[in-house]
Amino acid sequence: MIAYRQIGEPSIPVRHQAALLDYARHQEVAHAVLLRDTGLTDRDLAAPDMLLTPHQALQLLANVMRVLDSADTSFLLGQQMLPGHGGALSHALLQAQNLRQALDILCAGHARLCPLLTPRWREEGGLAVLYWTDSFGAPSQLPPLVEMHMTAVTAMCRWLGGERLPWRYCLNRSAPAHVEQHEAHLGGELRFNCHLDAMLIDPAWLDRPWPRGNAMAAANALAGVAAEGAPLVPSLLTALYDYLLDNIRLAPTLEGSAAAFGVSPATLKRHLARHGSHFQAELDQVRAHVAMQLFQMRGYDNEAVAQYLGFHDATNFRRSFKRWTGLVPSLLRDALLRS
Amino acid sequence: MLQLHRSTLIASMLALVACVVLYATLGVAKPFHLWKWTDIVSEGGTAIMAGSWVLFTLSSRPGGLVTRLLAGGLALIMVGSFADCMDEFFAVSKTARWDHWLEMLVPVGMACVTCGMYYWRHEQFRLNEHLQKRERLFRDHRAFDRITQLANADYLRRQIRHEQAQRPGRQCALVLLDIDGFHLINREFGQREGDRVLQAVGHMLLLNLRNDDLLCRYAGDRFALLLPDTGEAEAAAMARHLAAMVGQMRHHARAQRVPITLRHASTNAAADVGPELMLAELARALAVPAQSAGMAGVAVA
Repeated sequence: MIAYRQIGEPSIPVRHQAALLDYARHQEVAHAVLLRDTGLTDRDLAAPDMLLTPHQALQLLANVMRVLDSADTSFLLGQQMLPGHGGALSHALLQAQNLRQALDILCAGHARLCPLLTPRWREEGGLAVLYWTDSFGAPSQLPPLVEMHMTAVTAMCRWLGGERLPWRYCLNRSAPAHVEQHEAHLGGELRFNCHLDAMLIDPAWLDRPWPRGNAMAAANALAGVAAEGAPLVPSLLTALYDYLLDNIRLAPTLEGSAAAFGVSPATLKRHLARHGSHFQAELDQVRAHVAMQLFQMRGYDNEAVAQYLGFHDATNFRRSFKRWTGLVPSLLRDALLRS
Repeated sequence: MLQLHRSTLIASMLALVACVVLYATLGVAKPFHLWKWTDIVSEGGTAIMAGSWVLFTLSSRPGGLVTRLLAGGLALIMVGSFADCMDEFFAVSKTARWDHWLEMLVPVGMACVTCGMYYWRHEQFRLNEHLQKRERLFRDHRAFDRITQLANADYLRRQIRHEQAQRPGRQCALVLLDIDGFHLINREFGQREGDRVLQAVGHMLLLNLRNDDLLCRYAGDRFALLLPDTGEAEAAAMARHLAAMVGQMRHHARAQRVPITLRHASTNAAADVGPELMLAELARALAVPAQSAGMAGVAVA
């Protein structure tokens, strides 16, 4: 049975929000404004071990974004976000020997290091891809969250690697008015309207040693992570995404998924609704991501992807794909391969 | 800012109260059916509007001659029209002159406001001189960055478009400047120190510009320069000079000297290319590490 965590469950220690709270203090955000609609008091924030619900963490972020109303807020928050204040995990990141290990630590420890957005990375077909999905269903906050997390990884790698890494960025949004912020904080290789929030890099960079890396210290820190207790269970949306990804070729259903999660279909539906989503939307998202991955990394054509995903024929697949992404596969495939 | 002007506000309130008392004691209340609603609305409305202008003026300006003239004049207009309005509620004998004098306050107030406007114009010219290198030709208060008080990228793009449209064929250069290793300053000393570095660099650049040049904070640790009537070679020379000036600067953080160096890239802004593309191209040129570009400056053809 797969365990999962919901948006209303206290699970994020206040100390992990230190970067956000420091920034708010530095920018002189009034406490009343910062805490609006969170149900928190000053005393809660003063206790570093107090646990916030993901909902409260998202609300804190939304409050800061709204009151500062500045295009660079998400990027500046990202600059300070990683390695973060996550105890042994952050320490392990700090000692990572290379990009590969850093990405492994980040993805394995995402529930603590970046609880609001889930990173996943894979290496295939001469490309390493790190992509992000929503952990708790905050579609309106997704653009700033993505800016923040991409900046966090970019800035951390630049710092620990001692040089700017040649990331390319795909963003699931139209080109914003503040594109200069993306240029300055991420880099010049930006593509918008991508249907996926991803950072791409040549795999040659994965194993290049980092000057600060220390195998022994990293191993010790990771052992410390294990000693800190059982890892946090993933969020519902993350757990479901992983489950669907594993079973994407078996035509997963709501009933089957509910059984795997050990709840009734009605309960799973209700829990998904609490995250502003429903089963079909999640399934469509995973299928679209898999299709794009097959296009880009394996060079599949429509026929091959349709067959892989269990569609009767390419026409059916094309129609569905258009529904998921608003684009016919050939257009998106061309756009992906052009990079 | 309103606290600064507490006495002015109290005096205006007292004048209004005195007006009411004066009419109530010396005049005779008119019966309800004689009230002329159009007069009440127009005169009372004028008084309320003028009152709100007094508040706007006082809450947005420091003290001084111009503020006194503007706010005082508006307050006189307010009291004058309020007296005019009281006229509608109380009958005053035809022989009394005092109510006419009260109504005379309106033109006197207008004279004061006019006088204030005149001096305000002078004040504005002086301020424009200060702001010259930070804004050109039009003002948009929303386009200013909080940390450096420089205009932002949006303002820059509008200026480039304006330059291309208004003066086609004239030379114009665009330079992007980037602080080397700024992220290390932020990591080591914190964001507050990073902000101080941005301010210091902004000041240094402003001091070394000509009057017609425009300096903007592009994004993050990037500054942009728009140089009208400047060729590319001249712009590159100027960028090198600016980088050298900033390099000479001594910035101290926690009793430790932090060396600050700039990288730069320049291009011809008069070319018939949209500002977005032009800036993206420059940003890409800046991302090339200095060693492989052969020097600290890059020119984009």
